Formats: sequence, C-alpha cells, structure tokens
Amino acid sequence: MFFKKSIIALTGLFLCIFLIVHLSANCILLLPKDIARDLYNSYSTTLRESLFIKIIAYVLYLSILLHVVYALLITLRNRKAKSQHYSINNFRENSSWASQNMGLLGVIILLFILVHLANFWARIKLGIGENIGLDANGHVNVYEVTYGLFQNIYFVMFYTVLMIPLGLHLNHGLKSAFMTLGFYHKKGLRILAKTSLIYATIMTVGFGIIPFILFFK
Amino acid sequence: MKVTFKIWRQENAKTKGDFKSYEVYDLTKDMSFLEALDHLNELLVERDEKTIAFEYDCREGICGQCCLFINGRAHGPHSNMTTCQLHMRSFKDGETIVVEPWRATAFPVIKDLVIDRSSLDRIIEQGGYINAKTGTAPEANAILISKSIADKAMDAAACIGCGACVATCKNSSAALFTSAKINHLNSLPQGHQEASTRVLKMARQMELEGFGSCTFTGACEVECPEHISIINIAEMNVRRLKAKWFE
Ligand code: HEM
Ligand code: FES
Repeated sequence: MFFKKSIIALTGLFLCIFLIVHLSANCILLLPKDIARDLYNSYSTTLRESLFIKIIAYVLYLSILLHVVYALLITLRNRKAKSQHYSINNFRENSSWASQNMGLLGVIILLFILVHLANFWARIKLGIGENIGLDANGHVNVYEVTYGLFQNIYFVMFYTVLMIPLGLHLNHGLKSAFMTLGFYHKKGLRILAKTSLIYATIMTVGFGIIPFILFFK
Repeated sequence: MKVTFKIWRQENAKTKGDFKSYEVYDLTKDMSFLEALDHLNELLVERDEKTIAFEYDCREGICGQCCLFINGRAHGPHSNMTTCQLHMRSFKDGETIVVEPWRATAFPVIKDLVIDRSSLDRIIEQGGYINAKTGTAPEANAILISKSIADKAMDAAACIGCGACVATCKNSSAALFTSAKINHLNSLPQGHQEASTRVLKMARQMELEGFGSCTFTGACEVECPEHISIINIAEMNVRRLKAKWFE
C-alpha cells in the first residue's frame, strides 16, 4: 500500500512538472496570430521529431496509467477500511472538500484527458478526422487545429470549467505528494502549502483562460 | 434543558444495529456529555429497558476511552478534545444529538457505542516499546537529550490511543497513531537500536489490520485531543523509506 501510494505521489509530481512545460508552451498561442502560428507549429514539429521528447512522452503515458491504476486500487482499499459511513459527517469542519474527494476529482480529470486526447492527439498523431494542412513553413498546422477547436463556445467552456477540478486536485495533491514522500520540515511545509495554492491557481487560470482568449481573437 | 439523543444501538458484532431516539428533559447546561448519557441510562433502568453501552475511564481527558462520534465529529463539535471534556452547554436546548460508534473495519462494534480497538494494541506489540532492561528510573541527566528532541518526543508520546484519528479519517487510516508511537521512540537514544525494525514492523501491522492509507486530509490532527501533528506521518514515511531502502 505504501509502495503504491509512493508511486501515486511520484507520478503525480512528474505530471505536475509536465503541466508547467505544457502551460508555458501554450502561452505562445497568446501572441499575435501570425507569430503564434509560426512559433507554435515549429515548436510542435520540433517536439514530434525529437527522440528525447518521444521518450518523455512514453514516460508521460506510463505516469498517467500508473497514477490512475494505483489511485483506483488505493481508493478501493481505503473504502474497504471504512466499515460503514457515518449517518452525519461534518468533515468540512476538519478538512477541505478537495482532500476528501481526490478520487472524484481524478475521474473528472481523466474524462478531460480523454476528450483532450481525442481533440488533439487523435487528430495530429493518428490522423483521425478532417485533414490538417501545412503552414507556410511546411509545418503541420497544429495552431489551426487549436484555434479552430476554440471557435466553438462549448469546447471553450469545457476546457475552462474543467480546469477547476484540476486546480483542486493539484492544490491538495502537490502538498500531499511531498508528505507521502516524507518531507516533514515544519516551516518548509508551510511554504509548500502556499506554493501548492499558487501553483494550482496559475494552472487553473492559465489553462482556463487561453481557450477564451483564442475564442475572441 | 431538553435534548433528543439519537443513539446507535447494536446488540453485538454479528447483529445489525440501528438508531434509536430518546428524549431527555431534565439536563443542565453544566452536565458533562457523559453525565447526560449516565442520566439517560438511569432513566432506561427505571423504565426497565436495556442501558446504552459506552466506554469511559478517567473522565479527565487522559485515558482515551471515551470514544464517541457526536453530531458528525469525533468527540463532538469541538476540535482537539475528548468526549469526557465536552459539556451540554455546547448544545442548544431542544437539539437532536446523533451519537455513533467509531466507524472502521479495524474497529468492530462490540455493543452499542463500544468498539474493539485491540488492532491498535497489536500495532504496539510490533515495536511500540524498547527491549532493553531499563531498571528503575535513572538519574535524570544520565542520558543527555537536547531540548528540541525531548520536546518532540514528548509531543508524540502524548498520544492516548483514543482512535479519533482513525474514526475521523475517510480511509480509517491509523497513520497518526502509528507515526506518533514510532517517532516518540525513534527520536530518543533509547529507541535507536531497534529504530528500523520498529518502523517497518509497526507500519506493516497497521496495513495488516485493515486500516487505510493516509491521504493527508488533515482531519486527524484537528480531532486529536493531544494535538498530535500530521507532520508526524510525513516523518514516519521518510523513516520507512530509509529503513526499507538504506538499512
Ligand atoms: C494532470 C493530471 C494529474 C496530476 C498532475 C495529478 C497529480 C496528483 C498528485 C501530485 C497527487 C498526490 C499524491 C499523493 O497524495 O501522494 C495525486 C493524487 C491522486 N490522484 Fe492525481 N493527478 C492527475 C490526474 C489524476 C487522474 C486522471 C486520476 C484518476 C482517475 C487521479 C487520481 C488521484 C487520486 C485518487 C489521488 C489521491 C490519492 C490520495 O488520496 O492520496 N489523478 N494526483
Ligand atoms: S474518559 Fe478518559 S479521556 Fe475521556
């Protein structure tokens, strides 16, 4: 159980780092249209052609898989540890809602990831759906795929609203992962709690606002 | 004051339990919660009904026997307090007070509100002690221990084993209890010799008993009557990793 929990923490932290890189790259989308298209497409081509990124991509898939599978196993086992639920339980008086519902938040994020992969990965990597053209520099026009998707207000809303459960998951998850792995410095933990909140807020607002800006661009 | 107690009644571990309501009229605000239950039991005796089984011993907040889940909180509405230190003035006149036993697979119900916490004892049996013969109390300064370490060990040693941490935890994890016991002994020179077997064996037993794993909701440290900090769990984790991989 402890081993599984440590894997959840390690993979979770890896995913947290991935999110930083991912958000930074997405900020390119906010530049003026022509510059954004060139930069984003050439960045995307560079990634697709790099062996290093290929390896990282597999680590990423594996991380998500392990994180989800072990989280599921641990959550089921933890449920079994509670023989019966209390008829009333005022857990909000002693803990945060998010910390009590990491599994639910995780399932919502998983749904998001699946839709997200269908929107991008399936189209660009697997070539499913409408053909994607090349830009003026001969790069696959990933920018157009992104821009096109976010002309649809429903997708904008989906991508924005679902960043809230992500933020809640991250705010608790980041702190929790460090403690799972044995970080017990008292003052350090206080700083960590603040860092988690700031990190989660940046991720939620950052990922959440980009679709909106593209919609109005 | 008048209150309605809604209390979990269960004959034994094998039978199914259920809530039963009891209206009690002649309570006073300065009665302790346990005195109110005593009073209810007296009424039940007069009415020739079965009394409600609940546990207590010291009634002064040091033994950890008085484990009750009251109105959705371990040990009642206040944080960091035992049930015996709770008074009726914490409730409103006419209020309905729901009382349940601790819920955890590792804490089976014995009768009504009394649960079996011997799973915690079995964790202690795996190393919550030192093997060395210590004789009579030694000269106070024979073994020098720095103030910060002594304080830390004392804070952890304060755990009274009430099980509120398990009761309130959504995973029924005994991590706060176990970590307090481990850190208490492992931070002192007397506990050093057996430090790594202690952490491995006690933590293992915690899992064998069917307690869940810690997900750091932090509920336990809010309900702990002895203010044991959740940081103890992180420290137990690092001791566990070290013992497993480096020793
Ligand atoms: C971007 C994606 C994700 C990131 C960055 C992430 C990050 C994290 C982190 C850092 C933790 C803390 C580990 C710990 O407490 O030691 C965690 C816990 C958890 N994650 Fe995720 N996670 C993600 C997606 C998911 C998904 C898709 C699921 C499930 C379907 C999930 C389910 C869980 C569960 C159940 C826990 C809690 C385990 C516990 O209660 O401690 N997560 N996550
Ligand atoms: S009866 Fe001893 S702590 Fe409450």
